[in-house]
Amino acid sequence: MKVRTMKVQMLFFLVTILFISSVKSQTCCSGGIPMSNNLGLENLGKGVLQLGVNYDFNNLNTLNAGTENLDDDSRQRITHSALFNAAYSFTNNLSIEALFTWVNQRRIIDQFGNTDLQQTNGIGDAVILAKYSFTKILGESSAVSLGIGAKIPLGSYEEVDGIGITYIADLQPGSGAWDMILFSAISKNFNFRPSTTFSGRAIYRSTGANTDYLGGAQVYEYGNEIQLFAGVSDQFLVFNKKLISPGLTLKYRKANKDEIDGIQLNNTGGNWIFLLPSLSIDLSQNVSFQTKAELPIISDVDGTQLTPTYRLSGGFLIKLNLKKNKINFNDLQL
Amino acid sequence: MKNSILLLFLSALFIISCSSSDNSINSLPDDGSSGQGDPDTQGGTTNEWLIPLSAVRDGGPGRDGIPSIDNPKFLSVNETPGLLAEEVRVVGIKIGNEVRAYPHYILDWHEIVNDDLGSSSVAITYCPLTGTAIGWDRVVGGNKTSFGVSGLLYNNNVIPFDRSTNSNWSQVRLECVNGSLIGEKPEVIKVVETNWFIWKSMYPNTKVLSTDTGFSRSYGVYPYGDYRTNNAYLIFPLTRDDGRLPRKERVHAIVDEGNSRVYRFNSLSGGKAIKDVFNRKELLIVGGNETIVSFELDSETSLLEFEYIFNGSEAYFKDNEGTEWNVFGEGISGRGNGKKLKPSKSFIAYWFSIGAFYPNAEIFE
Repeated sequence: MKVRTMKVQMLFFLVTILFISSVKSQTCCSGGIPMSNNLGLENLGKGVLQLGVNYDFNNLNTLNAGTENLDDDSRQRITHSALFNAAYSFTNNLSIEALFTWVNQRRIIDQFGNTDLQQTNGIGDAVILAKYSFTKILGESSAVSLGIGAKIPLGSYEEVDGIGITYIADLQPGSGAWDMILFSAISKNFNFRPSTTFSGRAIYRSTGANTDYLGGAQVYEYGNEIQLFAGVSDQFLVFNKKLISPGLTLKYRKANKDEIDGIQLNNTGGNWIFLLPSLSIDLSQNVSFQTKAELPIISDVDGTQLTPTYRLSGGFLIKLNLKKNKINFNDLQL
Repeated sequence: MKNSILLLFLSALFIISCSSSDNSINSLPDDGSSGQGDPDTQGGTTNEWLIPLSAVRDGGPGRDGIPSIDNPKFLSVNETPGLLAEEVRVVGIKIGNEVRAYPHYILDWHEIVNDDLGSSSVAITYCPLTGTAIGWDRVVGGNKTSFGVSGLLYNNNVIPFDRSTNSNWSQVRLECVNGSLIGEKPEVIKVVETNWFIWKSMYPNTKVLSTDTGFSRSYGVYPYGDYRTNNAYLIFPLTRDDGRLPRKERVHAIVDEGNSRVYRFNSLSGGKAIKDVFNRKELLIVGGNETIVSFELDSETSLLEFEYIFNGSEAYFKDNEGTEWNVFGEGISGRGNGKKLKPSKSFIAYWFSIGAFYPNAEIFE
């Protein structure tokens, strides 16, 4: 038991080393980093450790006034994110999931023949989430999960440009605030096609305030946010007996306005509906590759804002049953 | 199992290496010929600032994220029915016989209009957060330039930059505060703030800026909610918060040698002409509920008595010798016909900006 615990610790250490090697900087949590998209790893049973690494590209190049799309593509916000998930199931019901991020935020203005690029990069905020799963509440082949967690403000919120001017909050890698996260998920397979999974998720983020914004001169708080997902996926065996799982998810996101010193900021917050086609390919028994896109269907922003144009992500998920498999780190030849 | 761990490790390394970059402002001209200044400095600027760098804020949109209007188009009055409500606030300018108006509801989205009136090149600079509209001569250091919106703010006030040198200018301070032109002061060109009804009554032949700006914006929708009237609502903290007046009270501020004296609209309610002394200069302040203008008086004009007479024509005030003057201080009839009063260096502003920029500002009582 003690040996197994050490192995787990070593694995976490390895993942930790990966992101500490990057430069510390900030993560935006408003429109940039897809934290909520990447929460909700399934409980695969006691002793199963899941490790994920994903790359996410979020492009905001659409200028909206409410639902009206303005004919102006001169402004662009791009967020490159590296996401590291780890989830461990202590029992068949109880699991803990952590999500760490590294982010590069870019603001690009292409106007009057000039291009102005400003960017920050580094460690972003993290999430830790405890979940409890109830099986068969909705009959055979069903699961319901409830979770509670926190967004941990690991990311810097004081990044400055080359001449020392502090970047605005949403260009910072971190938010400087602890948020509370409530999570629920449901999934169900039916007898008419057991390989088809219908699922839903709801994630609510009650934001905290950064009381140290601009050196403590102001209090900044991102708007509370709720995200609802409803999707369906299926599994097929294809060439060489590879199992692939295509899926389609509808996502609704509502974000309240941000606040400065308790005053709601105009041109923040809004309502969005996205379509998320996804594909997962099992590369081996333990390793799968997954990719998805996020395409806005309806964008209804407060005031005038850049709004998501598209998001692409892809990465690997590794499942390790620590009860059955032995991991010998000494064999790694890196 | 070992392969799985190796895959995870390599993926993480790949992702991190893909995303690495620097942490700076870069100005990247497409053709290298667009006047971006010294490439060894950030964005063509230098590190020296005349204002505290710690109080210079990134406003969010970024440099040119709020695009100036560089090719303004205009409408005549008879083309505007249904387009401009009479209460719409405008910034008016008159150079020779060229008379133009720039509505706030367009300036809110662009903040700067680079315009040419006859032989004069003018930048109408407007900051919706401080409520300040000031005209600048676009000939700086003998060279004609245009101004853009840097995306930076100081005390919530716009910091325009000139496209010749990328130097940053403080609008309310009326000075270049960073860059190769640091310390230069813009030549202020008199503008008048009033509403569309009054302006077109004074100047029925005026041209008015068209919403055909070349940009797609929600003209007519004020972008900052209740900012104009909510005294608690500031985007960024002030270096000095002077509580003598409500933050968002609009005042007429005369600035001179780093000092300021402000005149409240209620001091001229109903229409008045006031003579006053500030910084050893004799001044005439004339206005009503919607408009205040001011002039420096000389030894000759200081002997005159003035009276507000605006009644829907160009004549705005008159003196006791029978001369009628327009809002720009031009004698338009009577003994002083053709003469011109020297305009003061003044503008309309939200009080908080004057309190922040001019710590010893005096308030006319």
